[in-house]
Amino acid sequence: MMSGKGMDMRRVGRLWLQLFKVAILVIAITPSLLVAGDVASDGLSVDQRIAPVGQVQVEGGPIVEMPGEEAAAVEKPEPLAAPRPQRKDYPGVGVSSRAIVWVVAQMHLFFGALVLAVPLFVLVIELTGVFTRDERYDDMAHEFMKISLVGFSITAIIGGTLALALFMLYPDLMAYMMRVFRVQWLWYAFLFFVESFFLYTYYYGWNALRYGNKKWLHLTLGLLLNGAGMTIMVLANSWATFMMAPSGVDETGVITGTVWEAMKGPLWNPINLHRFIANIGFGGAVVGAYAAFKFLSTRDPKLRAHYDWMGYTSNFIAILAFLPLPFAGYWLMAEIYAYSQQMGITAMGGILAWLFIVQAVLIGTILLAGNFYLWSGMSRTEGSVRYQWMIKYIAAILVVCFLTWMTPHTLILSAREIATLGGSHHKILGPLGIMPAKNIAVNLMLVVTFLSFQLYRRSDKVATVSWAPVANGFMVAIYIVAMLNIIFVGVYYGYFTNTVYKVGSSVVQVASTLVVIIAGLTIDGFLFKGAKKLPSHWGRVSDRSQYALFALPIAFTWLMGLMGYVRSSVKTHWHVYTVMKDNSPDNFIPTIGYAGNMITLVTILFVLFVLFMFWIANISGVKQPRPGAAEGEAA
Amino acid sequence: MAEGRKAMQEKRMGRGATLVAVMVAFVVVLAVFYGLDHLVMGIQGLPLNPDLSPAG
Repeated sequence: MMSGKGMDMRRVGRLWLQLFKVAILVIAITPSLLVAGDVASDGLSVDQRIAPVGQVQVEGGPIVEMPGEEAAAVEKPEPLAAPRPQRKDYPGVGVSSRAIVWVVAQMHLFFGALVLAVPLFVLVIELTGVFTRDERYDDMAHEFMKISLVGFSITAIIGGTLALALFMLYPDLMAYMMRVFRVQWLWYAFLFFVESFFLYTYYYGWNALRYGNKKWLHLTLGLLLNGAGMTIMVLANSWATFMMAPSGVDETGVITGTVWEAMKGPLWNPINLHRFIANIGFGGAVVGAYAAFKFLSTRDPKLRAHYDWMGYTSNFIAILAFLPLPFAGYWLMAEIYAYSQQMGITAMGGILAWLFIVQAVLIGTILLAGNFYLWSGMSRTEGSVRYQWMIKYIAAILVVCFLTWMTPHTLILSAREIATLGGSHHKILGPLGIMPAKNIAVNLMLVVTFLSFQLYRRSDKVATVSWAPVANGFMVAIYIVAMLNIIFVGVYYGYFTNTVYKVGSSVVQVASTLVVIIAGLTIDGFLFKGAKKLPSHWGRVSDRSQYALFALPIAFTWLMGLMGYVRSSVKTHWHVYTVMKDNSPDNFIPTIGYAGNMITLVTILFVLFVLFMFWIANISGVKQPRPGAAEGEAA
Repeated sequence: MAEGRKAMQEKRMGRGATLVAVMVAFVVVLAVFYGLDHLVMGIQGLPLNPDLSPAG
C-alpha cells in the first residue's frame, strides 16, 4: 500500500515533469516567436517594410547604396581608449579608498575561496561514501556543507559591498572594465542564480536523495554546483589577470579583440590553477579548525571519535592540496617573468622580495603544523611504533630546511655592521639566501612531509603480499636517491653553472619530488591491497594536536592575504598594467609594515567571521527544552 | 635445536634476499633519476653530457 508521503512525492514528480515539458516547449518556440514578431503577414520583415521608396536597383547597373547603411557608416563609433582619470576623478570618503577596497576584496576572496572549495571535496567524500557503502562519509560530507552554508551568504554580502565600493571609489576603472568584459558581467550575475539553485537543492535535498538512483541525482547536483562555482571563479580571475597582463586591447586600451581574447591573457590559466589548488587547501584547513573546535568542546567519546576523524580528513585534504601548490606558484611566477621581466623583478627582486621570506615562515608553519598533526595522529594505532623512530629525522630535516628557506639574501645592516661583516652578504649565510638553496629546502620539506603522510597511512596496516620487501626496498631507494638528486642539481647547477641551467634545474627538482609522491601513492596502493588492518582508535589523540588544526587556517589566511598583496602590487602605479594609469592618491606600493598591518587586520576579521560561522552551524542543532519540562522530569 | 638453527638460517637468507632486492632497487632508481635529469633538462633545451655537466 502506497503511503501518503509516497503519493505526495509522485504528485510532485509528475508536476516537475509537466513543468519541465513546458520549459522545453518555451525554449524551443521562443526563437521562432521572436523571428515571427519581426515578419508581417506579407512575408516582409520590419526592415524591408520600412525601407525608403524610390531606390531602384537596375539589373546589371551599379549597386545603389542604401541610406540606412550609409547612416550606419557615418555613426560608426570612434574607438575608445582607456580612460585617463585625474586625481579629482577619484571620489574620496575621508579614508584611503585603497584600504577600503583592500579589506572588502580580501574578505570576499577568503570566503569565496572557502565556499568554492568545500563543495569540491564534499562531492569527493560523498562519492567515497557511495563506493565504500560507509554512511559515515555521507554524514561527514553533509556536516562540511552545513558549515560552509553560512559562508555563501557572507560571500554574497561582501561581494555586493565590494562591487558598490569599486563603483563608488574607482568609477573610471570600473567603466573601462565594464566596456572590456561587456556581456560577461551579466553571465557572471546569472551564474550566481545557477550556483544558488544547485547549492540549495544539493544541501536541502541531501536526505531526500540519499539512496539508490536518487543518490546519483544528488551527486549530479553536487557536480553542477561545482561546475557553476568553478566558472564563477575563472571569470573573476580573468579580471585580475587582465589588470596584470592585459590582452584583447591595444597599447592605448582600445578594445581590439573579443571578450574571450580579453579573458585568456597569459596569466589566466596559471592563476586559475594556483587558486583552484590553494582554495582546496584553504577550505580543508578551515573545516579542520571546526572539527578541532568541536573535538575540544566535548567529552563524549563517540563525538570525539567523530570529530577526530573529521579533523584528520580535513588535514589530509589541506596537506594533499598544499603539496603541489608551490609548483603551481612556480608556473605563475615563470609566466609573470615571461610576460614582463620588470614585473617579475618587482615581485621577487625589489621591495616585495622580503615578503617571500615572510612567505617562507608561513609555509614552514603550515608544514610543521601539518607534520606535527600527522605524528600525533599516529598514536591512534599500535602499528605506528614501527615508524616512530623516523619522526626525529623528519623533524630535523624540516627545521634545517625551514631555516634555510627563511634566510634572507641581504640583511638590513648599519654601516658598522657591514664593515664588521666585510660586506652586505654573510660568508656562510649569503649563499643560503638565493634561490638554489631555497629550492632545495622547499623540495626536501615537501618530500619529508609526504613521508610523514605515508608513514601515517601505513601505521594501521601490515602488508601481506610476498613482494613487500622488494616494494619497500624500492620505496627507500626512491626517497634517498630523490633527495640526493634534489641536493645535487640544486648545488651543482645552482652555484657552479650558468643562470639558464640554474633555472632549468629547478624543474628537475620538482620532477624528483613528484616522482616520490606518485611512486609512493602507486606502490602503497598495490602493496596494501587486502592488507591486514590494525585497529585504529579514533578520538585517542592529544588535545595539543588539535591546536595544529587551528594554526593551519590562520597561517593559510595570512599567507593568502600576503601573496594577494604581492600579486596586486606588481602592477605598481597602473590600474591596468601599461594601459590605464592609476592617478589616485594611493598609486604607489604600500610599505611592508603598512601591508603587514592590513593583512593582519583582514586575517583577524576573517577569523571572527569564521567563528560566527561555526557558532551558527553549532546552534542549528541545539533545541531549547520546553519551559517547565526539566522540572517535570526531575519530579 | 635443529629447527631453531633452520629458522635462523631462513631468516638470514631472507635478510640476504632483502639486501639484494634493496641493492637492485638502488641501481634501478639511480638509473631512472639519471634518465630523468637528462630528459627534463633536454626538454627545456638544456642538454647534458653523460657526466651531467652542461653540454650547451
